[in-house]
Amino acid sequence: MSVEQNKYILKVEGLHVNYGNIVAVNNVGFDVLQGEIFGLLGPNGAGKTSTLSAIEGLIKFKEGTIIVNGQSVSEKPLHARASMGVQLQSTSFQPELNVVQILQLFSGIYGVPMSKDKIKDTLAAIGLEDAAQKKFSQLSGGQQQRVSLVIATIHNPKLVLLDEPTTGLDPQARRQLWERIEAIRERGHAVLLTTHSMEEAESVCDRIAIIDHGRVIAVDTPQALIDKHRDDPEVIAVSRRGKITLEDVFIGLTGTTVRA
Amino acid sequence: MEETIIPKTSTVLFTLFRADLATLISNRRSGIITLFVPLIILISWKGMVPKVGGPFVLSTAITIGLMAIGLMGYSISISRDRDKGIFQRLRVAPVPTWAIMVSRISIQLMMIMILTLAVFVVGFENDKILLSWQGYAVTFFVAFLGGAVYLSVGQLIVGLIKNPETVNAVTRLVYFLFIMVGMFGELGVLGLKLKDIVHWSPYGSVKLMLAASMEPAKWNDDTTMAVLATIAYIVVFAGIGIKNFKWSSK
Repeated sequence: MSVEQNKYILKVEGLHVNYGNIVAVNNVGFDVLQGEIFGLLGPNGAGKTSTLSAIEGLIKFKEGTIIVNGQSVSEKPLHARASMGVQLQSTSFQPELNVVQILQLFSGIYGVPMSKDKIKDTLAAIGLEDAAQKKFSQLSGGQQQRVSLVIATIHNPKLVLLDEPTTGLDPQARRQLWERIEAIRERGHAVLLTTHSMEEAESVCDRIAIIDHGRVIAVDTPQALIDKHRDDPEVIAVSRRGKITLEDVFIGLTGTTVRA
Repeated sequence: MEETIIPKTSTVLFTLFRADLATLISNRRSGIITLFVPLIILISWKGMVPKVGGPFVLSTAITIGLMAIGLMGYSISISRDRDKGIFQRLRVAPVPTWAIMVSRISIQLMMIMILTLAVFVVGFENDKILLSWQGYAVTFFVAFLGGAVYLSVGQLIVGLIKNPETVNAVTRLVYFLFIMVGMFGELGVLGLKLKDIVHWSPYGSVKLMLAASMEPAKWNDDTTMAVLATIAYIVVFAGIGIKNFKWSSK
């Protein structure tokens, strides 16, 4: 891990998000450091997506501060957004545009116009040189993820936000994506990802925050969380293999009830 | 902290417009269908031109085309892209939200220009309707104003309804109602009361305004009232539509 200590790229403090009378995020706070992959874990409806949406500027938050690369999301939203690259959970490009047109669109709106040669090189780097003229909807799930990740990092952002990036991918595509995420870290970027996969969190994340009922209930490295909670009765009770895993800690902390 | 690159607004607008234009070209069939109904009216009403006058036929064709652009073209594409999360993906980039909409509306204005030109050309070639150069010029500007009414109706629909299937159904229903009630009501087939209502409805006001703009010498108080009514419709519909608009359908 190449974390430069104390140099945070993202700082979230006292974040509150409400939907009418429903409290979705309640006093959430965490930092993501430069060169760090930070995982946000939580059951369905725990507040992960709301937290991410507040960082991305997609929803207005009631209270709190979010600083991205020194810029406040609420005071300088365009500057904050220019410092982050985002891969949303669902496919979200115009289905009529081909891969080259999508790259041209996003390179233009991020202010980093790409020449035809640069686009060609970029597609070659992700093994999609033959798919240049294909519509996004004609690509496989793994290919779509690769295009999405390239677009999320097209402007060399300080912070990359990935919302459940490996959902629906086969093991090969998932491993490949992990390598690409680690490569982003090696280039000194910070990555904040949400995931339901404990395997992913354990393999890729340098630190994780477990969020439940809108609150952060634990933040640490995956191994430190396991070590800290291995003797908790709730964690031992849900352990299945005689060895405490991150999933056991997660279920021990958030409960066994299936969330909607 | 390093300096962040905020792209120029002009660059953002050009890039968005280019992508929206590529989408329009890719969907050219729906664009052609938008032109289809007005041109069919022009061709099939050829025999009526001596009776009702060229401006009546041209203004009816343009009004129906404007409805198709504002309702079918604008609102259906907005609700579909909102549902697919396309707007959310653009909104997480350093793009002012108004730029996204300006680009979309510019595409519709371009469609209005193509429609008006097509109606003028087919009107001349097929129906031998020739206007003065002032008539052509004023009609062009008035077509944009009339188009704005239907774009604002489209905005009202996507502002009040989130579900794309419901938007699709409602826009088709409104389009059908405007055509049927507008055309038959205007001719008095549906009674005098309805004729009055249609006269000052978005259909009637736009049509009146367009017909008068084709013969600027015949512009009168009634036409000015139609312009004012049109502006009022735009302000009210667009105001409610923008105020209630959500960028995500979820």
